[in-house]
Amino acid sequence: MSAKVSAGKQVFAIVKKDVLAELRTKEMVIAMFLFVVLAMVVFSQAFGVILNDLDRVGGGLLWVAFLFMSMLGLNRSFVHEKDEGCLEGLLMSPIDRPLIFFGKMLGNLLFLSIVELFAVPIFFVLFRLEMGASMAGIFLATIFLSNIGIACVGTLLSTISINTKTRDLMLPILFMPVIIPLLIAAVSATGGIMSGEELTEVYGSMRFIAVYDIIFLLVAYALYDYVISE
Amino acid sequence: MPKQMAELLKNEKQPYTGAHAEIEVTGLSKYFGKRKVLTKISFELEKGGFLSLFGPNGAGKTTLVKILSTLVAPSEGTVSVAGLDPYKNSAAIRSKIGLISHSPLLYLDLSAEENLRFYGAMYGVDNVDARIDELLEQVELDHRRYDLVRTFSKGMMQRLAIARALLHRPSVLFLDEPHTGLDPHAVDIFESLLDTIRQDHTFIMITHNIERGLALCSKAMILYNGQIAFYQNKADLDTEMFNEIYRRKVKGEC
Repeated sequence: MSAKVSAGKQVFAIVKKDVLAELRTKEMVIAMFLFVVLAMVVFSQAFGVILNDLDRVGGGLLWVAFLFMSMLGLNRSFVHEKDEGCLEGLLMSPIDRPLIFFGKMLGNLLFLSIVELFAVPIFFVLFRLEMGASMAGIFLATIFLSNIGIACVGTLLSTISINTKTRDLMLPILFMPVIIPLLIAAVSATGGIMSGEELTEVYGSMRFIAVYDIIFLLVAYALYDYVISE
Repeated sequence: MPKQMAELLKNEKQPYTGAHAEIEVTGLSKYFGKRKVLTKISFELEKGGFLSLFGPNGAGKTTLVKILSTLVAPSEGTVSVAGLDPYKNSAAIRSKIGLISHSPLLYLDLSAEENLRFYGAMYGVDNVDARIDELLEQVELDHRRYDLVRTFSKGMMQRLAIARALLHRPSVLFLDEPHTGLDPHAVDIFESLLDTIRQDHTFIMITHNIERGLALCSKAMILYNGQIAFYQNKADLDTEMFNEIYRRKVKGEC
């Protein structure tokens, strides 16, 4: 007989399974990392010579690279589920649908954060930026808060696009308009930190990002059963 | 036409046997948009029963099994599995059912053991280590437990899929063309496993192999164009007669 199923164990099992599969293939993380580094090198070559105060536009460049990098990863987040009908296997197990969302979202958040953890120092080196330890903490917190929103919206929309024939095209089409408010706030917050703006303005953008995250976590929680069924 | 066959051709619905019905379907219809895939399906299967479901491609067999396994919602009618409504008690039903399909539902980049451990966590299986050892031994894959499923042959994947489906000790098993891609050795393992669990489980098996389907079943059903074209106790049938009935029903010769 089966014991009462623990929601935490189910979510952890999904995250662990995604991490194990990624450790075997390394397809997603390596592709994301190569893309983001390539984009940063191109930006540094293109804008490094002509712009004097890169710290003011640096936030925009950073988030353009992160946004496209995250789409690359999110597009592949259900690839393992589609192989050999695993999504059906997952849906047949006694798990509440929102827990599938949280498991997949946490996996995506982990992969995004790992890639960005390596990409941010490269960005600072390429653009010759400097930052004190306390500001670096706020900078990384802003990136992590934004990642929650990106992983949340991306996981929800990649679930919708997984069953469409044009899923590689569908995710960016759905994702871009929804993520723009978050992107503007993230650019404003990180750009503000880089250019040494008043922290009150930065905190305002961070609050907006946190509210965005909460709203979309609740939306995903409410809709996921419907989104993933049929 | 022999008199017995004429009687069977007329008899499209098996009268209820009086035993406790493990699966009960009443007036079930399913539409995808305007397309009607299942029309007014009604049948009962008693606990411990084995229903073999035959029919041409597109007859609605897989849709019927998907509805019973909570993956697809019915458009009309009621369904009860193990005494529970799949749409009010979906989590409870899912812990009582298992599916072996022609897709193994396994993660290719995980090992055999990691796959079973993952599904063990999903189902909250007690003593999962012992259960995995027992099942891998039964499907003769204990020597490949640490190998990635990607490296398995189709037959080995299907054997592991059997272990996955039995891991949480379901009482109802849905088998969707389970013999597809199996070599004779894998078929032997599969059928001996079915034999050992036959008494305690209720089965619905979709198959195109009439001989094998009839050998295993207690009841046989033909679905055609989303409707029950034939439903009968196996005791009243033999393979030759059933082949003839299938041909007549599906080709509309009666």
